Amino acid sequence: MDLNKTLEDSKNKINSTETSAELESIRIELLGRTGLINKLFADIKTSPNPREYGQLLNQLKNQLESAINLRSKSVETHDRASLPKDKKLASPAVALAKVGHLHPITQTERQLNEVFRKLGFSIYDSPEIVSDEYNFARLNVPADHPARDMQDTIYIQEPEYLLRTQTSTIESYLLQAKNKDLPIRAAFPGAVYRNEKVNRSNHFVFHQYQAVVVDKGITMKDLIGTMDLMFKTLYGPEVVVRYRCKYYPEVEPGVGPDMQCFNCHGQGCPLCKYAGWIEMGGSGMIHPKVLAAAGIDPKIWSGFAFGMGLDRWTMAQNDIKDIRTLRGGNLAYKPNL
Amino acid sequence: MKLIYSELKKFLPDLSVKPEQLRDDITMIGHFTNYFEEIDGEIVFDLDIKVNRGDCLGYYGLARDLSVLYNIPLVLPKIKELSSSNYQLPITVTTDKVKRIMALKISDLKNSPSPDWLQKFIKIHGTNSVNTLVDLTNYIMYLYGIPVHAFDTAKSTDNLVWEINSRFKQFITLDGTKFSLNKDILMVNNPQKALSLGFWGGEACAIENTTTDTIVEIAVYDRTTVRQNSRWLKATTEAGTRLEKDLDPDLIPKALGHLVKLILENCGGQVSSSLFDYYPHKINSLPIEFNPQNVSLTAGISIPTDFSIDVLTRLGCVIDHNLVTPPPLRQDISLEADLIEEVIRFWGYQKIPTTEVLSFKELPDITPKIMYLIDELKDKLVALGYDEVLSWPLVNQALDLKTVVTTQNSINSEFIYLRQSLIQSLKIQLDQYQRFKLPQPQFFEIGKIFSQKDGQYIEKIALGIYNYDSKKLPQDIESLSLPLVKGGPRGIDNFIEIILDDLPKPDKYIPLISSSQAVELTSQIITLDANLTLNTQENPLSLIKKYSALIDEKILWSMQITDVYHDENLNKYRYTFQVSYYNCDDKTAKKIHLSTFNLDTSVTH
Repeated sequence: MDLNKTLEDSKNKINSTETSAELESIRIELLGRTGLINKLFADIKTSPNPREYGQLLNQLKNQLESAINLRSKSVETHDRASLPKDKKLASPAVALAKVGHLHPITQTERQLNEVFRKLGFSIYDSPEIVSDEYNFARLNVPADHPARDMQDTIYIQEPEYLLRTQTSTIESYLLQAKNKDLPIRAAFPGAVYRNEKVNRSNHFVFHQYQAVVVDKGITMKDLIGTMDLMFKTLYGPEVVVRYRCKYYPEVEPGVGPDMQCFNCHGQGCPLCKYAGWIEMGGSGMIHPKVLAAAGIDPKIWSGFAFGMGLDRWTMAQNDIKDIRTLRGGNLAYKPNL
Repeated sequence: MKLIYSELKKFLPDLSVKPEQLRDDITMIGHFTNYFEEIDGEIVFDLDIKVNRGDCLGYYGLARDLSVLYNIPLVLPKIKELSSSNYQLPITVTTDKVKRIMALKISDLKNSPSPDWLQKFIKIHGTNSVNTLVDLTNYIMYLYGIPVHAFDTAKSTDNLVWEINSRFKQFITLDGTKFSLNKDILMVNNPQKALSLGFWGGEACAIENTTTDTIVEIAVYDRTTVRQNSRWLKATTEAGTRLEKDLDPDLIPKALGHLVKLILENCGGQVSSSLFDYYPHKINSLPIEFNPQNVSLTAGISIPTDFSIDVLTRLGCVIDHNLVTPPPLRQDISLEADLIEEVIRFWGYQKIPTTEVLSFKELPDITPKIMYLIDELKDKLVALGYDEVLSWPLVNQALDLKTVVTTQNSINSEFIYLRQSLIQSLKIQLDQYQRFKLPQPQFFEIGKIFSQKDGQYIEKIALGIYNYDSKKLPQDIESLSLPLVKGGPRGIDNFIEIILDDLPKPDKYIPLISSSQAVELTSQIITLDANLTLNTQENPLSLIKKYSALIDEKILWSMQITDVYHDENLNKYRYTFQVSYYNCDDKTAKKIHLSTFNLDTSVTH
């Protein structure tokens, strides 16, 4: 059973209750003696990993109890409002339950994290103020290399300290920190910075998602198959993605995924600049120099890395026309939906 | 880079694919092109050449790639050996930043406006036509990817000096741009005058229609020097873009031979010097150990050894048992991984299956525990009715000038500081919400805050919360079961900030996956009241549901009942609604509001 889905469905049920009676009914349905949670606990013996399953169920139970407690405060207010006792019958306000929302970038990140957790990935992060070494040198971009022109950097103390320009920087930290704990699988969403003029299409801070694997015998087939799963998770099973040769200094061979334009289905239109395809990010087999810089022997270990921007996708999903909205203060949510 | 199909075919006479096919094929092997278009009767592609492939900033390099892809011959123009005189050019080189120079003098030529074919070529490549001699130097640069320079020797004399300039303080380019020369710049000068930057010709020796004698030269420099010079002067040219890449000095004779042939054909004249060739250290590519089996092991599919050997041979590699020496043109190839990529890109990335996902593997969880805490807090806050926002990490005020982290080249002159508190950013968020008149805002952000101490940069993860209702805020914090750190010295009443780094963290947490829709506010939210008087007492929530269903969801933001009053004398119940509208102007909102609650007729139900 998908416990995540169970949690989501149950929370939705809890949050849709309007009276204490309704909430109590849901509590019994979920946490009662013959409720859902106890039924799930009965499945422990047949689970492939009983210990982990048990931990997850306990966590699920705690989350549901917490959600019911939180909800009970709201429905009490509603109960009072619907029971007139005085001339002033309802005070303070009565409204449909106020629903909070995750930022759409967080929603996208969680969707991807879920995909990768199921493949055995951890989630990782690292500092945002970084040294040149971790942002460039360890990623096979030495000083004065033309590849530095691919990114306009915001410096804290030029040339040594800067704001990370890419989530590959997190990869630098990861490989260095875990070079004795191989194999590793990690995914990392993160904010990255570029010295870009802020306008409808560009921002100085935006969001990338990257996944990295280091193991023995990792191939491009693993990379492309996994990346394709990610795109299908985001864009649906019908999405058409092509994988082509593309240069990034930190990978070799490099792979560029392009998605067939959803607007013109490959025929060419202004959205895809008449290519029929939209560039979706970068990837490849981790460059032997990058592994070696982290103290990992590239003759024994290989790996892949891929990254993509999240902003465009998130904007399209939410019909947001202006990238500034994502961090600009005019992103809002209807309070009852 | 622009690529004219008919010009490409001069190198590849057997090229027969349609432009659509060429566009897709050349993209798949690494040279992305959006589209092709017809310009002046020519099919023209626009290619994105990556920085590692300086050789493909010319037709010749691209043609070499395509000859391998399509397995068709690469044909070079037939060029007779350069005739020369006994006169030796008095050229001096005083810097080690020069890898190779070849130069030749041509005299008694007749320069003139360019012929139509040349003007068209130059125009398609985005350059202004100047005259035949200048346009031919640019033509050769586009064909071979190596910049070419011509000096009018009536102005420059033959005494050219390649040097790191220390003599001249100012330089004027061909287009009249003036540079102050206060750094060590690679230049071509003569004993009296500054003539040319390494990557940009100068006004002092410009070729004109009246030019009769010229020294043409092609050079390859230390790319780092050119790149530094270009950045110091903040100047970008077609020549500089190429010279800052790894170029092949062995390509110079081909390019110069072709140039001289074209000059003699189009401008007349004769070669009046011997060939000057300065090449102090011949560049030899180093052999690379190569095991063809590693190609399949990298790709994850079987690629025959014969294919690998065939591709590498056609790319110009010299193969000796397990050692492969790449051609000097391909200075991007230095490791076995580079050779493997060459083979796989010609085999075709599209032949690698997309359906075989990495299988699950149980590995130790290395997720930092604070990430579980962040997920858990986000879910709890959402359950309490808070919206998550993301704000600018750059702010325009320092809370503490001693510890603030300042950017050196921020996006503008005001927002130069990295925030020291989330409340700084959230205040800006609140200002925006107030500008849009968002009713009853309550929101949070979890993000980094920054400081520095003793030369160390410090990042902490903070939770910042705002609630329009200051009484509710402490209750909500209590629900989170976290230590309360209200505002702190930097806070104001309705904001709270909590540093998460030092708090206890869960061992694991499964975050809720949700897919709620966000709204991009583009106009103010309009909030209106309505009093509804009823004969009987109703459930307020049922009334909200009933009346909200009457309003188009595209313009209804929220609805609530703010007051219920029982008039005992009349035994009637008055419900005060507060309705917020968006996506519409004030007039439309009022019209819909009046209509929904039938306010003109004061309906009593």
